[in-house]
Order: sequence, then C-alpha cells, then structure tokens
Amino acid sequence: MTRDIVLVGNEVNELGGVGRWQTSMARLFAERGHRVTVVGVAPPGAPFDLGEDPPFDTLTLHRERPSAPRRTRGLRRLDLAAVRHEALREREMREAAGRLSAVLRARRPGATVIVTQVWAMEWVALADTSGHTVIGMSHESFDTSRGSSRFARIKEHYRDVDRLLLLTREDADRWIGQGFNHVGFMPNPTPLRSPAPSPRTDATVVSIGRLGYEKGVDMLLDTWAEVVPRHPGWRLRIHGAGPDEEALKRQCSELGLDGSVEWAGRTEDVAGALRRSSVFVLSSRGEGFPLAPLEAMSCAVPCVAFDCAPGVREIVRHEEDGLLARPGNVLELARHLDRLLSDAALRDRMGERARENVRRFSPESVTDRWERLFDLLER
Amino acid sequence: MSAQHDRSQHEDVPDISVVVIVHNDERRLPDAVRSVLEQTLRNVEVVVADDCSTDGSFEVARRLAASSDRVRAVRLPENSGGCGEPRNRGVAVARGRYVMFLDSDDTLEPNACRNMLEAAETTGADLVSGLCLRVHVDSRWGTTAPWYPWLYRRTRTLDSIAELPDLLVYDTLSTNKCYRREWLLAKGLTFPRGIHYEDLLFSARAYLAASRITLIPNTVYHWNVVRKTEAKSISNRRHEINNFADRLEIHRRIDRILAAEGMGELRLHKDRKFLKHDLVLYLRELPFLDDDYRRRFAEMADGYLREFPEEAYEGLSPVHRLCAYLVLREDWEHLMPAVDTLLNRNKVSSPLVERDGRVYWCEEHLDDPLGRTVLDVTDLDLHHKPVSRLYLRNALTGYRESPEGVSLSGAVVNPLGVVAPDARLDAELEFRARRRSLRSFRFPVRSVRHEGTAIAWEADVPLARGLRPVGVLDDVWDVRMHLTVDGERTTTRLTAGRTDLGGGEDGTVRVRPLLSRLAADRLRPQVSSHGHLAFHLVQHGTLPRRTADLLRHHMQSPPARLTKKALRGALALRQELRSGRRKIDAYHRMIRVLPIRRGTVVFESHLGKQYGDSPRAIHEELRRRGVPARAVWSYQGSPRGFPADAELVRRWSWRYLRELAQAEFWIDNQGFPLKLAKRPETTYIQTWHGSALKRMGFDAPELRTVPEAERRLYQRAVDRFDHFVVRGRHDEVTLAQAFRIPEEKLLRTGYPRNDALVRARESGAPSRPAEELALRLGVRRDLPVVLYAPTFRALDGGGVRSFTFPFDVEEFARRFGDRLTLLVRTHYLNSVTLPPSVHGRVIDAGQEPDITPVLLLADVLVTDYSSVMFDYSLLQRPMVFFTYDQEEYADGRGTYFDLAEEAPGPVVRTAEELFGVLSRLDDPAGPAAYKARLKEFMTRYGEYDQGDAAARIADRFFGPEEDR
Repeated sequence: MTRDIVLVGNEVNELGGVGRWQTSMARLFAERGHRVTVVGVAPPGAPFDLGEDPPFDTLTLHRERPSAPRRTRGLRRLDLAAVRHEALREREMREAAGRLSAVLRARRPGATVIVTQVWAMEWVALADTSGHTVIGMSHESFDTSRGSSRFARIKEHYRDVDRLLLLTREDADRWIGQGFNHVGFMPNPTPLRSPAPSPRTDATVVSIGRLGYEKGVDMLLDTWAEVVPRHPGWRLRIHGAGPDEEALKRQCSELGLDGSVEWAGRTEDVAGALRRSSVFVLSSRGEGFPLAPLEAMSCAVPCVAFDCAPGVREIVRHEEDGLLARPGNVLELARHLDRLLSDAALRDRMGERARENVRRFSPESVTDRWERLFDLLER
Repeated sequence: MSAQHDRSQHEDVPDISVVVIVHNDERRLPDAVRSVLEQTLRNVEVVVADDCSTDGSFEVARRLAASSDRVRAVRLPENSGGCGEPRNRGVAVARGRYVMFLDSDDTLEPNACRNMLEAAETTGADLVSGLCLRVHVDSRWGTTAPWYPWLYRRTRTLDSIAELPDLLVYDTLSTNKCYRREWLLAKGLTFPRGIHYEDLLFSARAYLAASRITLIPNTVYHWNVVRKTEAKSISNRRHEINNFADRLEIHRRIDRILAAEGMGELRLHKDRKFLKHDLVLYLRELPFLDDDYRRRFAEMADGYLREFPEEAYEGLSPVHRLCAYLVLREDWEHLMPAVDTLLNRNKVSSPLVERDGRVYWCEEHLDDPLGRTVLDVTDLDLHHKPVSRLYLRNALTGYRESPEGVSLSGAVVNPLGVVAPDARLDAELEFRARRRSLRSFRFPVRSVRHEGTAIAWEADVPLARGLRPVGVLDDVWDVRMHLTVDGERTTTRLTAGRTDLGGGEDGTVRVRPLLSRLAADRLRPQVSSHGHLAFHLVQHGTLPRRTADLLRHHMQSPPARLTKKALRGALALRQELRSGRRKIDAYHRMIRVLPIRRGTVVFESHLGKQYGDSPRAIHEELRRRGVPARAVWSYQGSPRGFPADAELVRRWSWRYLRELAQAEFWIDNQGFPLKLAKRPETTYIQTWHGSALKRMGFDAPELRTVPEAERRLYQRAVDRFDHFVVRGRHDEVTLAQAFRIPEEKLLRTGYPRNDALVRARESGAPSRPAEELALRLGVRRDLPVVLYAPTFRALDGGGVRSFTFPFDVEEFARRFGDRLTLLVRTHYLNSVTLPPSVHGRVIDAGQEPDITPVLLLADVLVTDYSSVMFDYSLLQRPMVFFTYDQEEYADGRGTYFDLAEEAPGPVVRTAEELFGVLSRLDDPAGPAAYKARLKEFMTRYGEYDQGDAAARIADRFFGPEEDR
C-alpha cells in the first residue's frame, strides 16, 4: 500500500545530521513507492546538494529565515516596536502555514505528516492537518533536550501529535516518565549501503565530527596523550572543522602530540576515511543517534566511545562490537584504546562483529519499522 | 443478540476487547465506556458485564450498546458479589485478540490500548502490564499517585516472573494489564469466586503462566479513589480484621501454586512483602481495637507466619522484624509502641534497654535467641543522639472535653534515660493548621514530671478562647507538643491509641473562626492516618451546616475558582519571594548600589558547615594581632560552635547576601554560592581544603561532560578567586590547572590550618588543643591513638555512599582495645554508627568541627585516598594506607599519581592485613621503616607549608604586624 508522506523540517537540505537523515528517509520512502514531499520552514543556511532529480517534491515555506519572537506581555505591551514586530511575524507565520495547508489538502486523506524538529511543529500546528496523521520527532537524547529550551517546547508543541518518536527505547521511556503517553521510538538508518570493509591495516585511529565543544575533541586529545606513549607508530586522524579548531590545535601542540595527530579537515568521502583506519573513536559529550559510528561499523571498524547517550549504547555493544567508557572518563577511554591498539585479533573480531550487528539499522529494516508504525497508527 | 452475531461474521476481529464490569454504578459507567471508545487505537470493542445490578446499570449498558456497534452488554443471572465472575463472563464472550479489564468507576488512559498492543506485538508477550495511576477524585488540586512506579521506570520484557519477583509480589492488580485472549483460554485462567482479593490470585497465576511478560512505563489505567480523610470507625476497623481471613486464604492458595511450580525464591519474596506490607495494613488498626480482636488477629497471623522461614525476616527493617516477632509472641504491651514506629518512621516509641554493649527494643524475650537477634536495634543509632534529634513517642493517656476546651494528659517515652532525672523540663502544645499555613497557636503545659522511663504531662487547653481559625481554609488542626529538656527542644505528636476521644459526632468544643460561626462552630477530635490526635472544624448549628452545604456546592463556581486561583497565586508568590532566583537578583542589585564596607571580612568553611579549617586559622591570626577587621562568619543549620566575637549570618539569608555584597574580603575554603557575582572591589581569598590525589575540577569526569553553558558558569565562579592558596608545586600542576587558575593568582604560603601541625612537629611538645580534645572525647592518654580517616565514595550517578566500616569494628575493639585507642573521623559528607560495646576503645571524632586537633592527637594515621595524608605528613608520624577498593576508586575518578607506588607507609588491602600492621606498630620493619619516604613525601607535596601561612596572609592583606 502506498501512502502520501510529508516530511516537515526546519529546512529542506541543511548540512548536518538531521538534514542528511531527512533526505535519506525521503528517498527510502520513495523507493517503496510512497509519494513524498519534503517541506522546510526556512531556506537553509549551509545547504547540501540534493542531487539531480530527487525522487520527492520540495517546498520551503518562508523566503527568509523567520525572526525569533519578541516578548510582548506585561509592561512590554507598551513597546510599540516589539508589538509591531510580533504582529508582522505572526502574520507571516500564518501565511506560511497556509502554504503548508494547501500542500496537505492536496494529499489523499490519511496522509502521514512527519515533523522532524520541534521548531517546525509550530507551523504544522497552525496548518490544517485534519484527516492526516501527525508524527512528531526529536532527534536528540532526552538529556540533551532537558538541558535546552527545547525541553519546554517539546512539551508544549508535541503534546497533541498522534505519536512522538524518540531515537531509542531508553529516551522514549524517559519522556514517558514526563507524563507523555503517545511516545515511541525509531532508530536512524545507516547512511552507507554495504560499503567495502576496512582492511584494518593502517595504524590509524580516526575521529569524524565537527570541532565544537559538544564533540569533546579536547577530551580526545587528553586521551591520546595517555595512549600514544605506549603505541608509538599509531596516528590519530581527526576529520572535521568547526569553531574550536584553533584552540584544539593549540592544545594538541601543548600536549606535544603534533607528531602523532593529523588534522585532516572535513571529508566528503566518509567511507574512504574509515577504510584508511583501524579504530574509530567517538569522544562526544552528548549525542542523539550518531551516524558516524554507524558508518564506521558498516565499514567493519570497531568503535571506542564515551557512553554519553542511549543512542550510543544502542549502536555499540560493549565488549561485543566495540568498547564504551563512562562519560568524560578520559582514563577509561584511554585504557580501551590501549586495549584495542595492543590486540589486532580483538580489532578484527570486534570489527567483523560490528559489520554484522549494524545490519539491524539497515535502511531496509528501518523502513520496515516505519511502515509497521504507519499501520499501527491506522488501526 | 442475533444481530450482533451477524455483524461479527462480517467484521474483522477487534485488536482488544475491554471488559467493563459494573455493579450498581449507572452514573459512572458511561465515562468508563467512553474512555475505551475514545482510545487512539480504534479497533477495540467493549463488553459491559453487569453483575446483576439493582439500579439502571444494565439499561445504561444496553443504551451504550445500541449507540455503538463496538459495545456489547451482558448480564449475570444473579449477583456474584465480587469482581471475578463478571470478568470471567466478559472474557467468555470477548472476541478481541487481546483482553483488558476496566471497572465502571475507573477510566483508561487514551493511548493505553495502542501502547499495550504495540508492546504485545513487538515482544510477543502473553501479558503486558502498564502503570496504574491513582487519581484522588476528592482532592482539590487533582492529586495523583502512581502505583508502584519503581516497577515501571522503563520498558522491559521478562521471560519468567522469576526475573522480577517484585512484580508478582507488589503489583497484584488485574486491571492495568493486557492479556492475549487465546492464552487466557488455553491456560484456563479465570478469577476465583466468592472470596475477596480475587485479583491477587488471578494475577499471580497469570504471571506464572506467562511465557513472556512486557512492562511498559506508560500510564494505562486511571484508578479513581476517594481518599479517606475521615477517621475510620471502629466497625470499619473490625471489618478489615475479618477480611484478614480472606487475605490469608488467597495467600495460601498462591503459596500452593508457587510450591507446585518450584518457585521457592518467589515465595520468599512474597513472604517478605507480606511482613513488610500486608501485615502492616492490619497492625495499624490494632492500637484502636479491643483485646478480643487482637487475639483473633494474632491467632490467624500466627497460623500463617509460623510457616515462614527465618530468611523471610532478612532484609526487613528492624521495626518490621520486631513487630512480626511481637505479634507471634502476642506481646501487645511492646507491640503497640512498635506499631507507632511502623507508622512513623524514625519515631522512638520504646524506652529501650542496653545489655552487654548492644541496644534492645525491650527487656523481655532476650533469653530467646531469635528474640535477641530481632530485638537488637543497635544499628538504628539511637543511643548517641541528643534529645533534640530524637522523635519521641508521646502517648495520650487522658482526654476530656468541655465547651471551653480540652484537658489532656500523656507520657513521652524516655529512651535509655536520655532525659536525666534532674533535667529542667518545660513543655508547650502547638496547634497548627494542616494546610501549609498560615497560623499556629501555642498553649502552656501545666505540669511536666520525670517518671523514669517516661515524662508525664498534663495540660488544660482553652481552645474556645485561644484558637482562632480562619474557617473553610483551615479545616484540620494538628497538635504537637514541644518538650524542652535543659534548654534543648524536641517536638512530639500525640498518639491517640485507644484513649476515648468522646465528643460524639459534632464535638463539644466551641470555636469562633474569623469567617464567623457561619463557617464552623465546633471542633471535633480525630485521629490522623499516622495515629496522631488532630482536630477538625465542624458545623453543628443549623446555620453553619447550611453555609457549609452552600460552600461545597459553590466550590466549583466561577467566584470560588477565582478565589482559589488567587490563593494559589499568593502561595506561589510567597514561595517565589523566598526562592533562590529572587534572592540572586536582589543580590546583584545590591552590589550595584550599596557601598563597600572597609574592613568587613566574610568567612566561610565548607559551605557554612563548621567553624574551622584555614578560614578559621586566618580569623584567629587577625584576632591575635588585633587587626580592626569586622569578622562575619557564615553558618549552615545551627550557629553552635561558631565564635562569639564574630557576627554570624545564616547562609543564603538576606543578611548573608548583604554582607557578601558589601564585604572588602571574602575568605573561604570551598566556594561561596556559584551564582553570586563578586564585585571588583572585593578581594576573594580561596584557601581551598586539601591537596589532590584524585582528579579535580575540569580534570574530573563529572565536570568534563557538563553542557557548555554550565561549564562557563562554573568557570566564571572560579574566576572570582583573586588568590588561591597552594601548599606546593604539586597543587600548582594539579588543582590550579584543573581550575584554570592563572599563575599570578597563586598564593604560595601553604595552608593556614596546617601552621599548628608544623609548629607541633618543630616543638615536639604536647599540644593544648589535642589534650583538650582528648579530655572532651574521653581518650585514654596512656595508650597510643590511631586515627582512621577515610574519604567518601561517590555513587554512580551522583550522591554519596553511606559509610560502613571495611573491617569489623567490634573485633578491632576486642583485639586492640587494651593496646590502643581508635579515633574514627569520616569525610564530612559521611557519618558513623558505633555500637555501645566499643565505648572508650573506638571513638567517633566526626562531630569535631576542626580536624587539626584530631591530627595532633593521633600517633598513627590510617587512611585511604583522603587528602588528610598530605596534612598529616607534616607531623612526620607513621601512616598506613588501607586501600581495599583501589581499582574501583581509581578507575572511577582517576588519580594524579600512583598511590601504591608513592605511599609513605604500608599499603594494605584487607582487614586482616590492616590488623597485622597495627599489631606490629613498634616493629622497626613496620610503619616506622618509612621515615625517609615520609620526609620525601612531605616536601614533594607541601613544600610551602612552613608554619607561617596565616601570618604571611595577614601581613600581605592586613598590613605587617609591627606596623600596628
């Protein structure tokens, strides 16, 4: 049975995890014969290329990124500029929601609207969704949400959707603990479809991620400083760019690691980068359902990671296909790396196992799960 | 019926059939049925099973069936009197693949069916169970309480109930569950008839029969309950005792099934829960019932409890254990106070006795070995506490009322003679409205007398004149008695027990509320659910009764809602005014507008917990020099032990904030509140409180992972330090770097608190503070003193593990008691319980605010990873390192150096090794052999500690001494 599916995100094709996920899901749905539309609230700041002739329609609701709301309650009602700003903003929002309503009305009754981020939900809530099923999503761990303004906004805007999807059972359970009872979960699919495995012959540990506080590369450098004296000849290759690049390179020099750390910049060829490595390391402070370890495991590269989110322990099975350290425990992460670097057989065993195990998140099995969910919501 | 039959031929099978049972509840039945029809899962059917109601319930059910093709109604030919038969009948006619049960007075959560179905289909479970929410329908604020929420914190699937015995033992409801219908039929699972507590048996059998069970944390069922605010009548209480027989019968049947299934472990769990829970339900009624009922109860209980193995009593709290024991012994005299403690945790209700160094609940039964074990309550640590920290039972012995008020008499228990015969005694009664309120009234107690194991008292309380409630808002008044013993105060509640409260339905005591007599005109005594005396405002006259009806009727009217909203608003505002945020905002206004007060120094040690450590040493140095500074000390809790020559401010009080806002100097050893900014004119001297072995600050895992904003907040707080005291190069590369403190802020003076240690080493003479301490604690001076000072252990996910000895302290006392004295000082986050048997040989030094005299007194130190090792090394006396959990500790935190390698003394891993070292203290190969390493350790980790730290800090910030 084919359906009408409308994905509504902050943008159609913004560079980053959610953007990549959104497009790959749209393609997967289209491959199953569903009629897919991807709607973005705002134009992307840093767009990525959708390729030629994507198998789905796209629509962006606003010509420019809508401004943040200003407070106009209490005494601020006297601030005429703010009041005017708010009135204009609300009018534009209603108009944008009207464009979304038009799209939704053109779908067959019983279409599925998937709202990928809570900000976009503010527009969906204003639009006419009658006759359709609305699924809300939060692409981050419960703890990350709780530490941000999104916590309150998820509670407010996702209260009345038909189903709210988190990334893991554990995150879903914690939202249920907040009194939400319409909650389920859905993992991200692996981005790479059966790539060639890494031969695991290069004496290289690889890290792939934005160079920002969240990804914890500072902790990775401290870890590496503990590891490398025992493993001369091994290199740490760090892919990615970001705001902390300067500071991290300085830290690297201060730790005397310039000889064993390679700053490889952002890469388009993730599979290639993984094939030139034997161990993948994830040093993040927080994650949702990270794509990089999924990719590494698809390439048969074992992961060493901080167990910083349910998504991470869902992907990596400690002692089976990778090793997990307590969050922020640099010494433990170093011990795990030490173990893997000292033992080629262990790397091989875990790497092969990882390639097996990660199949449960293959595009096919995740799309099947989505279709089962659509069925459930119809019963 | 035939029409329905036809329909079912054509329709798909429903996913779930919900069996709604009803008996004489026509009013609420439609709500229950609607909660099923409005489920987000649409493919459900309702089977209403009427237990032959005599009202219009079945008519209502038929109407509902007529209006929806998803509803059917069936009726039992005669009333069954229980819930079991109608449910059995419902299951028999249900068509769904799954079945759920709903009572006509409850409702399903809107997503319940969808969540149950999803779980069942995903896991293939025969039985899915979700969280049941008790909804207090009579509560003003719509209070709810989840039913055993700890079983439902996360989704989990069990292949056997043996994986989670608590599920069978605690969640005995049949209604919050979803059953695969074919499985129910195949296993022949039906409810028993003609007996109460049918749910217990049914759910136990279902759990045991299920080859897979899935638990979901979702709320699935709303159990509407009326909270019993009214006191239970005697007949109610007797009735419950009668039900006890049924409960026992059900338990026996479950036991037989468990035995047949070979589930011995489950049986044990169930026995424990019976002792902890089921038995308590009945025990709490006993104080109010006469001896006949007590005896009947005891006979029944005895017959059942006899079969329990001794292991069933393990893991029970001492109070539960001794209650069960006293029931079997039919010792009412000691049981009744014990039940009081059961209902009021931490209450001391027995005079207790001490025998051979242990503390027992009572003198009786100690010749029985089981009794001796069960009645031993030493570990409750009641024998050390001062009277102000004990919650004592106060039994009401006399009650008389008149229109003017009440005359009361009672007896406060005096455990282990904590109240001395010659103590000055004084008492007053306090009446306070139960709702977070507003006002309280106090009345003197006429006489208070010491009578050995009890303190007897009498009071005449002129309530009619002295108690002025508002009315309506403050319906319930609780009674407390404050007893003052030599200036120390303890607060008690009056336990009513069997004392006749008379008074009749309406009470006789007159009362005149501020809202006039229209609101209420009498006070009626009642007993709270904890067994305590309270008073209820009631309406006796015609006019007040009519007003009350009117009020009740209009509580939901718009004006009433407005009033309630206003009241809630006022309470919230009061809360808000006292809240931290408001205070922080006000503080930041203060530092903008108020001037600096020259010469004001605000001191704080360990967040206000004590007058001690380096801030104290600096304070004393300033006093000694006569520096004209105004010293302000911050305290948390009690100001006891703080100096008289300083101004004392409670931490977080308005005065505290003002002093901080205007101070010229801040001096502390841990951190003034993180969120308070420091103005540039104020100089902040951070003395810190110990060199580091384990990783600290931004080197510690817990701080490395915090979100960026929080990290910045923390860094800003640390950036407030203008000077940071270090003891040596080690501090500079560890602490200072971990907190990102720049070079120029380091104060290389050593710790002021350690000046006394350096001086003691240099002079070699006995120190006065140490000798005073020995006298205070009763430490023998003819034996060497060993100090045991371990650090705390963190729990995973924050929190502090409570302290337990890693060796047998009684064995220690036996083996070494005549050779040395052991002082125990745990980390300030921990506390220690010592049995009386070790008295004089093992001594708790944890209450001393300042550790320096303790170190001075100790001839040998036993520690693990505590920073006390660095300070103690200044004395150059032997140290022993008892690191029984080295791997676990070092792995969790990470350390700056390898203790095992650098320790300047023997490192032992087991209690036996420790005892071995202690028995050879004089052996030249023992701790004494580490002389050279000890010296090296001292200089490596604290080369700046030269005995003049306080003087150098005073010189630098308050001018050289000779200038004055």
